[in-house]
Formats: sequence, structure tokens, C-alpha cells
Amino acid sequence: MSIPLSTSGPKMQDYASPVPCTWCDGCGDYGIWGATQRALVGLGLHPWQVLMCYDVGCHGNGADKMSGYRFHGLHGRVIPLSAGAALANPRVPVIAFGGDGASFSEGVGHLVHAVRSNYQMTFVLHNNANYGLTTGQASALTAQGQKMNSSPNGIPEETLNSMDFVFSLQPTFVARAFSGNIPQLTEILKVAIKHRGFAFVDVLQACPTYNKFATHEMLLERCYDANKEGHDPADLAKARALATDTSARIATGILYQNEERPAFHERLVARQGMTTVPVDEVGIVDMSEYMKELV
Amino acid sequence: MHRLSLKIVGAQGQGVNSVGEMCAKGLKRTGYCIFGYREYMSLIKGGHSSYQLDVSHEMIRSSARLVDIVVTFNHHGLEKNLRDLKPGGIMLHQTPRWKFKKSEDLAFIAEQKIQVIELPTEEILKKLKAKAILGNVLITAVVWALLGRKKEELEELVREQFGHKKDLLAMNLTCIAEGFATREVLAPTVTLSLPEPNPQWKDHLLLTGSQAMGLGIIHAGCRCFFGYPMTPASPLLTVIADLQNQSKMLVKQAEDEITAAQMMVGAMHMGTRACTATSGGGFDLMTETLSLSGITETPAVFILAQRPGPGTGLPTWTAQGDLHLAIGSGHGEYPRLVMAVSDSQDCFDLMPEAFNRAEEYQISVMVLTDKQIAEALFSQQPYDQEKAEVRRGKLVTNVEGLKALKSADRYAPEVSDGVSKRWLPGTDAATFCGQGDEHTSDGTSTEDGQVALAQMEKRMRKMEALRGVLPEPELFVVESGKSVVSRDEPRKVGSDDASVDVLVVGWGSTKGPVLDVLESYKLEAISHKQSIGYLHYTYLWPLRTERFVALAAKAKKIILIEGNLTGQLGAILKQETGITIEHKILKGDGRPFFFEELSSLIQKQL
Repeated sequence: MSIPLSTSGPKMQDYASPVPCTWCDGCGDYGIWGATQRALVGLGLHPWQVLMCYDVGCHGNGADKMSGYRFHGLHGRVIPLSAGAALANPRVPVIAFGGDGASFSEGVGHLVHAVRSNYQMTFVLHNNANYGLTTGQASALTAQGQKMNSSPNGIPEETLNSMDFVFSLQPTFVARAFSGNIPQLTEILKVAIKHRGFAFVDVLQACPTYNKFATHEMLLERCYDANKEGHDPADLAKARALATDTSARIATGILYQNEERPAFHERLVARQGMTTVPVDEVGIVDMSEYMKELV
Repeated sequence: MHRLSLKIVGAQGQGVNSVGEMCAKGLKRTGYCIFGYREYMSLIKGGHSSYQLDVSHEMIRSSARLVDIVVTFNHHGLEKNLRDLKPGGIMLHQTPRWKFKKSEDLAFIAEQKIQVIELPTEEILKKLKAKAILGNVLITAVVWALLGRKKEELEELVREQFGHKKDLLAMNLTCIAEGFATREVLAPTVTLSLPEPNPQWKDHLLLTGSQAMGLGIIHAGCRCFFGYPMTPASPLLTVIADLQNQSKMLVKQAEDEITAAQMMVGAMHMGTRACTATSGGGFDLMTETLSLSGITETPAVFILAQRPGPGTGLPTWTAQGDLHLAIGSGHGEYPRLVMAVSDSQDCFDLMPEAFNRAEEYQISVMVLTDKQIAEALFSQQPYDQEKAEVRRGKLVTNVEGLKALKSADRYAPEVSDGVSKRWLPGTDAATFCGQGDEHTSDGTSTEDGQVALAQMEKRMRKMEALRGVLPEPELFVVESGKSVVSRDEPRKVGSDDASVDVLVVGWGSTKGPVLDVLESYKLEAISHKQSIGYLHYTYLWPLRTERFVALAAKAKKIILIEGNLTGQLGAILKQETGITIEHKILKGDGRPFFFEELSSLIQKQL
């Protein structure tokens, strides 16, 4: 006699990959990798129901370290790639992963327009404040003055205040997490994936090999859960203040969320009332009516 | 062939296009074939622009260099376009009390028997209490009268356009009447001679190459269009965007060309049909994405609308200078398909094929067009909608097929044609990684040399498979030995039954003028002892060469015609066949080949 097993919900092992992880010991990527799988399982999403897109970098080497539909694209371009995929089929949750180099230097324009356009997708920022895979060059988020690979005298540029920048773009979802707090990150990702529009999740993570200024220990000590301390994600002004001031403590949690603003695809006048999505619609279109206009 | 050419010139924004479009529509409806050609400068207001219509009762596919009438909106046209006139041509202008002063102009007018007619537009409009914009109708009416056409034909046209606005319609009709009356006073004996109309043209479509391509893209089942403005690709973006409420297509103007290309690839990976369009500089930005789609084996469709480079070049002019770019762009070696449209028929017919090939072979398809095609006005037989089909190759969508899939099927290298199974995110099946790093068969990244080589070879096998199924270039011939005008279309003949003395080879927008020249009496009379054939390449990479080699072996002379300075197709033919084409007609001034110009250039080579 066989006992029927429940086949309804996905399990963690569904997301398992036979490919071993190759990140450095103590890398923050492990935490994000684990929390992502937990969030997807928690949301009841099977690997075949999601698309995860990866930029180039250490985190991108994780593209084959878990199951699910995945795409590992170009450096700096994960946001438009994911946005295109999400527009083609908004029924499939699309999660994009990118580093601080890709998001605030190479592809910073894409981040600007993704926030502004409010595409239906989640963007997870692997924020280790340097270019890890190319062996530790400075990014726009590296602390000023730090000596890095290719900056032996310390970096001359001002550090970009990434949160102030993102908030200036009128986002609809901003969260900050710490890769060392997997339960909190899991819960944040669950909300982000379900968010209506573009969800920006800044995950602070250690780079044990190259980042000597924002270590795991430093982040562990400074990060606190702002939601637990009563922060209301509907309060935009408070959210921006909390996000940008990291001088004493670093606020994590869902800092801001607004679901009143429609996602990009919902705003398209031409597509109002459509019950299909573009992936359903491939077929020869009769052009008789179009031709009448041209006689 | 009897052809008549009208050229309307003036400052951009003065009404050049309105008069051109009205004349074109009216003449087509009356029973004429129209070929329209626009020249304009890369600025919004004030630059000198023109709208030329070449008209015939027979098929016409090119512009003449010299025209029968210049209609000018300002005094610049009087001087700048005087020498565009044929002997006996008409200069219709609207500059009060204009007198040519330069002695060479006066001599030209006298020698060429140019008829200069001043139309007192302002004065007439004032008398009629009509707004300046109605000048366009007035001018069109004068031209209409000169053409010997009926007033009612023009009236019907404005009735259609302004029928719902009673006052405006009445004023339009008044202007038409006034235009006809004015012509009787100003130039009762001056006429432009049109042949008898042929009713077959009445039901033809009148559309630009961009409109044709837009219809083709919609027809092909493309559901997402991602663009970024750049002439001469922007008219296509405009056409697609303007039709979105009808087509329900998702249209997105992206923040840059990289975004447009990435969105297209993302949308294709997800499983819809998407495309993007740009010109040279924008395409340069897209090429990293092109290379990515090469290794991830994502179908992709890029429209590359050529204009003269390098750099910003001549933004509003035409060229065929990006063939090598399309073939060689993007880093690394990977399969691709490059095809080129030549006219409004191709613009429609080739779009479903571009998407089909992209999906069947899981490659990037580049469709080359150029400013000449994008903005030219074609008389087009209504499209045959039975021809197109959707072919999606090895895309798995049925439940059983999906259940049977293994992750390693995605990039399985064993397939003989290099094309493995493809399936879509969101379908219940084994998952895989669309991988931009070199990878194993399920998309796991690898640095193993043997696996990398197997994947490289798998992908490149697509090129041979594709070369085997692509059509050979098309051969057009005019029968030799005729001493009278051949009124026949150049006949298409099979690859095995043809041998021509003179083999003309080309691609893209040069087809129109080449066919018109081949058909023309002049060339036929001179070359009656030589048979001439035009071999037109639509599919440019991978390149089929069997037909070219067979024809070249028998031809006494081969002439290459291209709108670039280096003979790019010629170079590829040489690379692939070893045959050097000695005789070349090339062009690098941003202008298309004009009818008489090309005719005399070909004749010199005979």
C-alpha cells in the first residue's frame, strides 16, 4: 500500500542543484541564495513557476546553484532583460539579481528607468560595496578613501548615497536587508515578490576577501529591524530618512511600500481589458482592416 | 516607359509633405503608380526639404534625377532646385515679384525653355479669407489642373478628409475651384503630360517602407516592440506606436538602445515574439546583447535601418554601408541570419520569416533596411495574407512533451542541425539556465575545453543548416534583342535555365532603380545584343553562392551595384567564392540611385 504524499506545495529540495557553490567562505551570497529559495517555497512557487535573472559577478555565478528557470546575462543589464521578460508574461514572477557595480555604474540608467517605470519585478541588490569577481576594485558604493585594487592611493570619488538616489526616483518599494539575517530577508523577499510594481531590495552583504570596511561583524552589529521598532512602510519621509542615515545604526526591513501606483504594464492604454499576456498572443494577425486605411 | 516627375520643395514645416501626400493619393486613386521620395535635413523647422513623386501608368520603383515640375514654397527652391528641371520643365513658385538675377540662371531658363509660373497664393487666400494652411489645397489644385486631371477627383479627396467639418470642407472646395481658375488665367497652355491612367493601381495601397514593415511585424505575430528613436528607424517606431490601440501590441520606448535590445531578448526568452529597431550607432550599442543571444540561443529580431556613417554621419540620408557590421557585429563567433528588404513587398513578406527563422534556429536575425526604403512611398498591391505562417521550430509547449523534458535537453549538443529543444519559463517542466557563460547542456557554466568546443560546434552547425534552407538570390532578366520598349516585368527565372551576358549583382534598396533601368527602353536599345540579368540578394548571411557562381561562369561581365564605397557584398562574394567583381557602381553621398544616373552608369559599363 502506498501512502499518497502531498504534491501540492514546493519543497526546499525542489530548488536544489547538483552544482556546488563556489563562493568564498563567509560570503554574503550564501545568505541571499538561501533566503531566496526559502521565500519561493514560502510563497508556494515551484521552480518552473519563476524566472530568476542574474547579472555578471560573484552572485551571477549562483545562476546554476539552484533550480528554477534562470537566465544569466550581461554585466549591468539584468534589469532591462528582466523587465522585458516580465512584460512578456506578467504572470511569471521575475526576480533580478545584480551587484552594486552593475547597478550603480555600468547599468545605473536602467535602475533609474525601472524605478520610474515601475515594472512588475523584484530587484535584489547584492551590495558588497566593491567589484568582487574582478578581484576587488572600487564601486560607486565603496567608501571614499579606501585603497582598492586599481586604486592604490584610495578612491578619489565621493561615495554615492545609493538610498538617497533610489528614493529620489519615487520608488514604490524599498527594502534593506542584511545577508546574515536569513529569516528577515526571507520575509522581505516574500513581500517584494508579491509587490505590485518594481521592488528594490538592497541586501548588505560581506565580501570577506575584498571588503575590509563593511565586514559581516560590522553589519551584524549595526543593522536593526526598523519594522520591529514600529516603522510604518507607508511613511515616505520617515522611510527616506531612515534609509539614508546610516551613521549610527542601519535600518533594515521594508522601509517603504506603495501599491496604489499601477505597474507599467497595467498603465498601457492599448492593453486595457486584455485577458491574455504577450506570450499567449503569438499568431498571424489579419491585416485587412489596417490595409483599408492605406488605399 | 512614360514617367512624370513632380518635386515639391520648401522649408520643413511649410507644407511640402501635405501637398506631396495629397498629390500622391489623388494620382494613385486616379490610376497611376507612384514612387515617392523624401529629402529632408536633420532639423525640425526651416531646413530645405523635398517630396518627389514619380508617376506612371506602369510599375515604377525609382526616382528620376530630373523632374517635370518643381513646386516651391519659398524663394530658396527657385534657386536651389532650378537645375532639377528637365528641358521644358515648369517652375511653379509663390514668391511675389520674383526675378531671377544670376546670369547663369537666366541662361539656363532660356536654354532649357523652363516655364516659370508665379502663383499669388497669399493674395488669393486673402481674397478668400482662408487660413494659410489652405494654401496647400490651392497649390495642389493648380498642379492638378496642370496635370489635366478632373476637379472632381480632388474634390472627392478633400470630401473624404474634411467631410465631417462642413465649413472647412466648403473652404477646401473653394480653394480647389480657385486653383483651377487661377491656372486658366496664369498658364492656360502649360500642361504636364500624363499617360492614360490604368485602373489596376486604384486599389493599391500607398504606403512607406516603414508602414509596410510595421504591418509585416504585426502580421507576424510580434507582440512586443522595444525602440529608441533614431532616424531612419524612428518612423517604424512611430508607425508601430500609432497602431498599438488597434494591434494591442505592447510598445515601449526604452531609455536607450541597450535597454531596447535587452528587453527584446528578455521578452523572447519568456516566449513571445518581440523585436527592436535602430540605426547604425544604436545598433553598435546593441551588439553585446546580440552576442549574448548567440550563446544563450535566444531568438532575437533586430531591424537595422541604415544611414551614412561613420559617427552621426548623415542622419536623414540613405546608405547600404552596414552589411559588414551586421555580419561581423558582436564579440565571439556565433550563428546569425542577415537579410535585407528592398521594397514594400519585402518589408511585409520578410517579417514573418525573420521571426520564424529566429525561432526555428534560436538565433538573432538582422533585417537590414535603409532610409530610402523606410521613407519612400510605394504603390503596393494589397498583401496576400495567405502566405505567412508561424513556425516556432523546436519550441515545446504540449503537456506530454514538457513532462518528458530533461534540463539537459536545452543545450544538448548532439543535435545534427545544432538546434536543441526550447521551452518557456512558467511551463511545468524541468528547468534550465539560459546561460551567457559557456555551459553544459543544462546551462551550468563550465570551463571544460571539450564541453566548450562541443557547444561552439553545436551552435555553429546552425549556419550550415540554415544555409541549406535559405533561398538562392533572385534573378531578374529582360529578354534581349528587342528594339522596342519592353513593357513586361522583368521575368523571374529558375536558377538552372539562365545564362546572361551581363550579370548585375546587388541587394537592398538598389533593386528598385536597377529594375526600372533594366526595363527602360534606352538601355534595351543600346544593349540589345547583350542579355542582362540582375541577381538580387535578400539573404546575405549565411550566403548562398551556387547561383551566383553558375551565372558568373557564363557571364561576359559582372557589375556590382551597392550604396556604399567599398562594395561590401562584393567583398563577401569574393570571400565565399573567390570570384572578384571588377566592375563596380558604388555610391557614398547619402543619396539613392536615381533612374537616369544609374541608367547611364550601367550603360558606361556595357
